[in-house]
Amino acid sequence: MRRMLLLLATATLVSCVPKKVHEEPILENDDRVEDSSGAVQAAAVRSERARQEAAAERDALKAEALATCQAEICDAVVRGELAIGMTETQVLAATGTTGSAWSVRHAGESTIMMPTSATQAPTDIVGDVAVVQLAANQVSRYAYREPQGVRVVNSPADASTEGRAAAMAETLIREGDDLAARGEFDGALNRYDRASILTPGDPMVDYKIAAALDKALRPIEAEIQYRLFLHRLDLELIEARGEAAAELAEAIALAQQRIIILERQSTVQDQ
Amino acid sequence: MSIDHSLRSRARHGGIVPFLFTVFVATIPGCSTKHVTRIEPETVTDLSGRWNDTDSRLVANALIAQSLSGEWIDRYSGTQGGDSPTLIVGTFHNRTSEHIAVNTFVRELELAYVNSGAVGVVASPAEREEIRSEREDQQEFARADSRARLGQELGANFILQGELQSIEDEETTTRFGLRRKEKVVFYQIDARIIDLETNLVVWAGQHEIKKYIERKPLGL
Repeated sequence: MRRMLLLLATATLVSCVPKKVHEEPILENDDRVEDSSGAVQAAAVRSERARQEAAAERDALKAEALATCQAEICDAVVRGELAIGMTETQVLAATGTTGSAWSVRHAGESTIMMPTSATQAPTDIVGDVAVVQLAANQVSRYAYREPQGVRVVNSPADASTEGRAAAMAETLIREGDDLAARGEFDGALNRYDRASILTPGDPMVDYKIAAALDKALRPIEAEIQYRLFLHRLDLELIEARGEAAAELAEAIALAQQRIIILERQSTVQDQ
Repeated sequence: MSIDHSLRSRARHGGIVPFLFTVFVATIPGCSTKHVTRIEPETVTDLSGRWNDTDSRLVANALIAQSLSGEWIDRYSGTQGGDSPTLIVGTFHNRTSEHIAVNTFVRELELAYVNSGAVGVVASPAEREEIRSEREDQQEFARADSRARLGQELGANFILQGELQSIEDEETTTRFGLRRKEKVVFYQIDARIIDLETNLVVWAGQHEIKKYIERKPLGL
């Protein structure tokens, strides 16, 4: 009985003892916490060395690129813009990069320059460069990564402002077509409208806008847009193009048909 | 009732001693002296156990060391011909139950980036507004050759964001009528550097602080 009581008393005492944290403190009052000047200094030395090395390499590349270039290529290097006909060194100089930014693959006469980092692509004055292809050590084509997708430059005309606008409009029209196919006509209209700003006077864009408005049950605007499409067309020119204009000829017929239907519908509604 | 009368009344009832004791105790705080000393900012001075300058410094040190040695700087410089990345300091959300002056360590972080030269820092939106206003003012009133040009601002490549969170656990025990209070506070500070174009998190750092605060009765 006595043993039992003793055991009970011990158990009670143990349960009453407060929980204690047994850990060695790592920092106490009057200790010192050093500032981060050591880490900052080390980073400063490292970054300065890296910057000097990169600047020296970049300057050497630029000097080499400008020493051997033709007038137009020289202008592009100075502007910081890629151009057809550049050498590998001139590509580096135009993009302000060094070899570490590119992964270069040689296959026979062809050389492909790809960015080493997909997220930090080298840039020229136009945008992020996705790939550069060289044939016989001269740039034959290159591509930019743009919000609408990859834009390829095959000729000097593609690199011009008009060429760029046409490529962007084409991408927007493709996006608009996808949205229209999904029945999202507001989104499709948005893309076609943007495309029509980039390539004003393109009758096919006008027709697509009209068709999207028609499907979105906006008959009055659709009719106006169909009329605009027909008005803008130079019918004689379309005929002169022959089969190449078959697509437009079909659109013309459809537009004329829709105008008649929409007109009749509005007349019925008025009555 | 006059003091004299009160004293005599208390003396009659034998209460003069407690009364004098009360007066004595009440006088003690009035006699205490104020003592102010300057001490090194690096010194650890934990008084209440709440977030203080030491915690701020520990966080700054950890995040500076982690972010400056992170690969994101080299990766950016390597692909951009040796240029340093530029960063804007965004918001650090305080999601703890305490009031924490977040800017103390955020500014220290900013200072480290600027002084190291490894990362360029652009002014915050509030700072930019003031600078733009000054620049616009110059266009009208400053001499032509001394005007700061418009349209020369540098856009940041990255943004630094973060948050502070805390978990608290406490218990009060009473033994022999004496209250003993224990508290554990855990702070977690997360910081992230995000590519402004792609939303890609290029660096993430974290620092944790755990404090054990014990209040013993009568110093036992």
